[in-house]
Amino acid sequence: MRSIRTVAAVTLAALAALVLGACGSSTSGSGTAASGAGAGVISTGGFQTPTTESLSGKRGGTLQVLDETEFENLDPGVAYYSLDYQVVFATQRPLYSHKPGSTEPTPDTASGAPEISADNKTVTVHLKEGIHFSPPVNREVTSEDVAYAIERGANPNVANPYFQSYFEAIEGAPKADGGPIKGIETPNKHEIIFHLTEPKGQLVADALVLPLTAAVPQEYAEKYDKNKPSDYVDYQVATGPYMLKNDSAGKVLGVGYVPGKSATLVRNPNWNPATDFRPAYLNEIDIKIGGTKTIIGRQVLEGTNVVENELPVQSIIKLAAEHYKSQLEISPGAGSHYIAINNKVGPFSNINLRKALWAALDRTALDKARGGELVTNVATHFIYPTIPGFVQAGGLKGLQVDYNEHPEGDTAIAEKYIKLAGYPSGKYTGGKTLQVVGASNAPEKEDAEIVNQALEKLGFTTKLTLVEQSTMYSKYCGVPKEEIDVCPSVAWGDDFPDPQTVLDITFNGKFINAISNNNWGQTNVPKINAAMTAAEDVVGIGARATAWAKIDNELVEDAAAIPFDWDKDPNIEGNDVHGVGDIWNEGDWDYDYTSLK
Amino acid sequence: MTRYIIRRLLWGVALLVIVCAVTFVLFRVLPTGNPAILRAGRDPQPKLVKEIERVLGLNKPLLVQFWNYLKEVFLHFNLGYSYATSQSVRSLIAERLPATLSLTLGAAVLWIVAGLGVGIISALRRHSLADRVAMGISLVLISAPEFWLGLIFLYVFASDIGQFKILPGAGSYVGITSDPWKWFTSLIMPWIVLASGSAAVYARLMRASLSETMREDYIRTARAKGLAERQVVRHGVRAAINPLITLFGLEVGVLLGGAVLVETVFNIPGIGRLNYQAIQSSNFPVTQGTVLLAAMFVIVANIVVDIAYAYLDPRVRYQ
Repeated sequence: MRSIRTVAAVTLAALAALVLGACGSSTSGSGTAASGAGAGVISTGGFQTPTTESLSGKRGGTLQVLDETEFENLDPGVAYYSLDYQVVFATQRPLYSHKPGSTEPTPDTASGAPEISADNKTVTVHLKEGIHFSPPVNREVTSEDVAYAIERGANPNVANPYFQSYFEAIEGAPKADGGPIKGIETPNKHEIIFHLTEPKGQLVADALVLPLTAAVPQEYAEKYDKNKPSDYVDYQVATGPYMLKNDSAGKVLGVGYVPGKSATLVRNPNWNPATDFRPAYLNEIDIKIGGTKTIIGRQVLEGTNVVENELPVQSIIKLAAEHYKSQLEISPGAGSHYIAINNKVGPFSNINLRKALWAALDRTALDKARGGELVTNVATHFIYPTIPGFVQAGGLKGLQVDYNEHPEGDTAIAEKYIKLAGYPSGKYTGGKTLQVVGASNAPEKEDAEIVNQALEKLGFTTKLTLVEQSTMYSKYCGVPKEEIDVCPSVAWGDDFPDPQTVLDITFNGKFINAISNNNWGQTNVPKINAAMTAAEDVVGIGARATAWAKIDNELVEDAAAIPFDWDKDPNIEGNDVHGVGDIWNEGDWDYDYTSLK
Repeated sequence: MTRYIIRRLLWGVALLVIVCAVTFVLFRVLPTGNPAILRAGRDPQPKLVKEIERVLGLNKPLLVQFWNYLKEVFLHFNLGYSYATSQSVRSLIAERLPATLSLTLGAAVLWIVAGLGVGIISALRRHSLADRVAMGISLVLISAPEFWLGLIFLYVFASDIGQFKILPGAGSYVGITSDPWKWFTSLIMPWIVLASGSAAVYARLMRASLSETMREDYIRTARAKGLAERQVVRHGVRAAINPLITLFGLEVGVLLGGAVLVETVFNIPGIGRLNYQAIQSSNFPVTQGTVLLAAMFVIVANIVVDIAYAYLDPRVRYQ
């Protein structure tokens, strides 16, 4: 799902090994070719990718950006989706950020790597000097501004969507409401210390790449944060190379951002390149909101100074791949799709029936429905390419179990597991009518139909319901009491470079919620839960990758869900644009590195 | 007449309240209707959802929420604030209204002129080649979806992606005050696309209505009295046009509430797109505001049509 944040994680060395080769099938390549955390062999068909882009460019010019979709929220304390991140990461500087082809954090407002104490309960970050807020604030950024930025995330008027997930280990955070948090200490202007109540230093340190950590000047923002909801977004100031155009009072709304119409990024006059790693080639970025993707795609492919920043429609991707090859970028690691099956109640509480469905399913058909190898890889497990733990979990081939070996489906193996489930005929004869709920939009509709056919072949009677995608999550698949048996196409992507963000919320029994539940299959295996709880506290990228890869294998052994697609993300640019995509942001164009030829 | 207008206006207000109530209920029972959950990200903790509900006032009983909303709308003309941007709905609508007005009124002029013109010619030259060609084309235009027609126009005439690059393409709309010429040229294709279907309908209706009228006894009498054919036709048109006025009023009223498809294809930031975006993001205040506006336009258009009837047809008198 495009809107789900994807911030993948691997080291630079691992990315060097992430061979985005032009040859060979993505499913038949050697899944163990690279050894670094998160590495894998992903074919992008010879098209440009974020990891191979040249980062040099020509200064100057105005880039036109065409987006069909409106931003969700451009407040750095609220922004959570890839489209918003493109603007937020050009205008704001969190403590850590990523370079385009890398998922390794680079100190941004911070001056060096975070220092994690031996007991994993204290994280110390030192800040650079000489970073200034844009007009009308103009003054230098201090650690208190970073503290306020994080604290306001707990303010109900701001309501940051991930504060509770990643920052609640900070002492005093669970009861925070926007005021000072006891566990955030600022001993001097350029140092900030996070005191934690649990040994989750690594997770908190990893989460410092999120835009919530971008400095916000309290004396300026506080009055806006008192409004319900906060309207700081309409008056926001920047620390990055660009700022949303504003008037002398700092008002952005109606000046640099007109909801539903446009956003205009101009250079931040107070940005000091000496403190930043970004080149910021462009003088201005004009974002036009609205229109239709079919037209936008043509306007970009045939246009100049222009890019599209969303997933183009399939016909445009095909057109670009055939006739505008140099204007297409394919990025791996853009999330994953899988089939959620109810582990708790109904027929699929029987592990052998889950394995039977896995074996019977033609996962290649599901991928073809999404556009084939250009935009997908057949998934064999849950940690997807570019995430640490991908290789350790089996790489492209995944865990070698018989029900996972034939992506095109294997009826004989499926029958074997049905018999093991207690149905000697090799067909399900339990009589229960399965509730299957899918999304009505393409290609999720096709996913649902393919899965439904597979179920029927196994002998199940099904009741297939297709609804709008958000309804599928909010009313059915995300509500355990609805007891949906199969959700044929659910999507997930990581929040930042860590496999925990891929597996924990989606498969840990402790995260099963009555509403908006993301553990769609209600997987609740005590052994796996315990392993996840233990892995949450592991320190070090390599060690965490290993720990979570083992959990990934256990989930495959349990057939907790059926992964079928690792997403790749295509983006298109005009013929005179040197677009540079961010692998950590689904390959979306990075305004700080993109330039005009 | 004055009493009639006042009565209609009062009914209009009552109708707006009903529209308000229906939208409110519909929005609340729609499955995606909790904006607090949508706002809370992909892993919303119950505590966070409750906090957002409190901030947005969604934790109050539904009747209280509805009553407060009605008070604000009818006493202060306050349509609330966007959940997404916190901008007042009134200002959002005010920003978008000029584009929708430009689009609708321009297209209305076009379809009236083209539709009535073709209809009159066809009625007066029934079964001629011109009549057959006009009616054939009108059938095609009625059948052609606006969205598809818009794409065809862009692929043929747009200056960026068209085969004949003669007209500004999608996303070229600017306000009339910032550049009148650009405003005009950017709306040529949208006007044609929006007007084409209606023009075709009007042409067929006008042809049928005028054909029938021209066979009436009083038309024969007029001719027998020696009136010039032009005057006869004028009398005929005035009588034949009445059925179309109702249609015109309703259609303009509906379009002023937003021409979603044409606004989308040509990326015109009007009321239709605003409503569409609001529905997609469960932005209730904006949806409610735009629906209310659309209802108001339809009601006003109806009243105007009724008054126009009285002017055009002296037989019609209201009590």
